[in-house]
Amino acid sequence: MRIPLRIVTLVLLVLGGSHSPQAQVTPESAVASAILYDVFQVTGDDESTAGGLKNEGGPNSIELLPAAVEQMKSVDLKRDPVNLCQPLGPFRMMARENNKIEIMPLDGKLIMIFEDLSHGLMRAIHTDRDHLTDANPTWLGDSVGRWEGDTLVVETIGFNTRTWLNDMGAQHSGQLRLIERIRPIEGGSYLEYAVTAEDPVVLENTYTYTRYYKKIDGEMSEDVCAYEWPD
Amino acid sequence: MAMGAMAGTAQGQLADAGPPDLADWAGYYVMARGEEVEGLRPVLTINELRQLAMDRLQPWALLKMESTDFVANDAGQICLPTGPFKYWFAVGRFLFLPGPDKIVMPFLNVPPAGVRRIYMNRGHPRNLRPTWNGDSVGRWVGDTLVVDSVGFNDKSWLVKVEPHTEELHVIERIRRVKGGSLLEFDITFMDREALTSAFNFVLYFKKADLADLDRQDGQLVNVCNEDPELWRQIMDMRLQPLLQRSREVR
Repeated sequence: MRIPLRIVTLVLLVLGGSHSPQAQVTPESAVASAILYDVFQVTGDDESTAGGLKNEGGPNSIELLPAAVEQMKSVDLKRDPVNLCQPLGPFRMMARENNKIEIMPLDGKLIMIFEDLSHGLMRAIHTDRDHLTDANPTWLGDSVGRWEGDTLVVETIGFNTRTWLNDMGAQHSGQLRLIERIRPIEGGSYLEYAVTAEDPVVLENTYTYTRYYKKIDGEMSEDVCAYEWPD
Repeated sequence: MAMGAMAGTAQGQLADAGPPDLADWAGYYVMARGEEVEGLRPVLTINELRQLAMDRLQPWALLKMESTDFVANDAGQICLPTGPFKYWFAVGRFLFLPGPDKIVMPFLNVPPAGVRRIYMNRGHPRNLRPTWNGDSVGRWVGDTLVVDSVGFNDKSWLVKVEPHTEELHVIERIRRVKGGSLLEFDITFMDREALTSAFNFVLYFKKADLADLDRQDGQLVNVCNEDPELWRQIMDMRLQPLLQRSREVR
């Protein structure tokens, strides 16, 4: 039941603190429900949460290895997946301005749906299995999630190399690995989203950025990417 | 979670038995056919359904249909949404994700099929901006989920290339049949501008194993515009003769 769960969630978050041992939860529990069903929209870089938290970093701040810098220089920015109505991949998409998401549960999985479907698509975060050992690389990779206290920790591997890491054309390899940490904060009014990217082939160091997603009253709207044929 | 009960109470539509628990309906569904639907209402083939629609087209709509090439003018061919009607036949698979005040139905694959949302806590907004998927609201009538959809744009087609207008109104009656093993969708199309009368058909869907999504690699993350160059070549090959033929006919 939604309302009681929300009340329990608030009590947990207020009394237990966001990382306290008392807040150990399962995907079916109250804290999990705080990230479900509602629509969340990323806050702007010039905004802060009610508690004063602000976005930190972003995909354009990654540091590339020299060979990756050279590779990036040769990229035709007109071929940006943004322009081709192709997926951007979670690392870039979750930092995208005005991005909206909703997360729905389904039998051991969390389905994350993006308002901007063409660029975000729909992610399945598997909380009921480990990574597939024989899967082909995909645009969004293979995501498995687990709960650490009130935080949903998502590990994603198995990416193809079609997405870019940022707007400047930074490429990644098939060894890209993302660790995303998602938790409700400030009474469930926001989600704190932190993602760490590892890619020994292109990144100088692992890189983490943080975004705050605000729960909004609005609904997801229909966002259709109008593709223009390449010249 | 008794989400169905919550929705029904909010709508004040409780019948004797009360609405079912929508959480039981959650799942991955594929179209049921053949023996699976024996003993139920007949399921039309796509050609039969197309005939049903064509028989009811207003003269202008019939003319528009006849001048339309179902490949060249198919929105899905250029990775735009195909409208909610083709999904059943062209895609035939969806996730049913109930929440406390809405049901989210991503059709697989997204895109171009898109995501439907059925709101259980409100009526249709005034001054709707027409969209590919329209605006859907649901309420319970006994054990049947009745979904009312309006607010469609006129860019999609009913079955193949049968036009509709922004006046299109769709009513779906969704219930479990065959001991709960199937979902029955009783669908009625009404459009006073494009159709001379309403038409109705029924489809059945069964729950499938979610692991199939893993086994059929990439289904959840289909990318319509996977390779623009290759795609353009294919489209050129397919479309040019059709467009040429179309010009000749005209």
